[in-house]
Amino acid sequence: MDTVKTLARAWPIHLVVLVVGIVSQLIGVRSIPIGIGTILLLPLLFAFVFTLLLNPHVVPPMGRLIRPRLAAAASPLIVVAIMPFIAKFGTTIGPSIEEIIRSGPALLLQELGNLGTIALAFPVAIWVFRMGRESIGAAHSIAREPNIAIIADRYGLRSAEGTGVMGVYVMGTLFGTFVFAIVASVLATAEVFSIEALAMACGVGSGSMMAACSGALAEAVPGSTDSIVALAGASNLLTYATGMYVSLFVALPLVEWMYRKIRPDDPGNRRPAETQEATS
Amino acid sequence: MTTHETEEDFLPSGDDRSLVLTDTLRDVAVVTVIAIPLQLIATDLSLLQVLAGMLALYVVCVIGLLLTTFLPFYLPSVAWISLVGIALTMPFMPWAEWFVGLVSGIDFLALAVPCLAYAGLAISSLELSVMRRSGWKILVVAVLVFVGTYVGSAAIADLVLRVTS
Repeated sequence: MDTVKTLARAWPIHLVVLVVGIVSQLIGVRSIPIGIGTILLLPLLFAFVFTLLLNPHVVPPMGRLIRPRLAAAASPLIVVAIMPFIAKFGTTIGPSIEEIIRSGPALLLQELGNLGTIALAFPVAIWVFRMGRESIGAAHSIAREPNIAIIADRYGLRSAEGTGVMGVYVMGTLFGTFVFAIVASVLATAEVFSIEALAMACGVGSGSMMAACSGALAEAVPGSTDSIVALAGASNLLTYATGMYVSLFVALPLVEWMYRKIRPDDPGNRRPAETQEATS
Repeated sequence: MTTHETEEDFLPSGDDRSLVLTDTLRDVAVVTVIAIPLQLIATDLSLLQVLAGMLALYVVCVIGLLLTTFLPFYLPSVAWISLVGIALTMPFMPWAEWFVGLVSGIDFLALAVPCLAYAGLAISSLELSVMRRSGWKILVVAVLVFVGTYVGSAAIADLVLRVTS
């Protein structure tokens, strides 16, 4: 059958993942103390770096080991590989459902924390880097797949806004897990916010960002692993449901409005205005 | 096979309705098998306990994928899988205690390792060219986007938790 044939073709990829996974897991969690807290290096980060170094697109001599076309077959496997992980998260949420419901208001409202990116990243993109309408795509959201779909739908991916959102998407794919692991472990050990709040905030991005983030929290505060996992998982599930709407109805109109106030003379402002008029 | 030829078809994995069910069930099974040695390293569970736990998680994935494929309205498969996991382990379910017992020992951090390993292999030349073209400025903006979103969410959650509890 076809199913068996494609498996036979992809086996080198699975084998690489198996070997890299075992090596990464044997290395385990390594911690680096810095002044304000501790940075935790997790096995999943090692695994990512190792396969990046084995990737023929990144390190061309690796083409002798893994053909570039074969490496492309790994792409649809990312979402498949996250499934058992998501299932485990679900089974942690179920037993803690009462705690989740008690934290309901906090869980719902923290979805608006997405807007924090506008406060921090948008001004830097506009005033420090003098970026144009790329800043709208780049800074309106955390740039995961639903956000790309919104930008693609409204502006097209070849537009300035599309370039911005794709840039952040790719940077997120490459470095997002590291940023989340580092920020979460530093904040957990710095004790500014409660661990429950930090756990909820872990759910704002992709599955692997959540994994790195909640993993770092769980290592930093070992006693509350179940609670951390349950809150992060619930928040991530909520992000699937609400994130797109926060992005579409709140964040994107807000950055678009801000950009027009700051740069009223940008000729690029005209096109989306026309399409808006056409659709309303 | 997904090779990102142009940026227009560079809309990865957001919509997974196009995944063929049998292929996905097979791939989840492969990933589940890969997870077994990792769990043996990460936990103190016996081989039998790991097998039972991973099989239980596989069943959750299968139910979730079946719901994604056959229900008339669309929700991402990961959302369905999450909901199935929640539904099976709610305290009032007759089998909840038994099912939670099967999966509670499974180390969630080790489960994420294969995913990131595939992600490292999947980085394509297109992504590298986007990175080169966008340059370090986008990298800085991206880091601020992640930090801003995370701290923003944590701050709101912390505030609301303080007020409501």
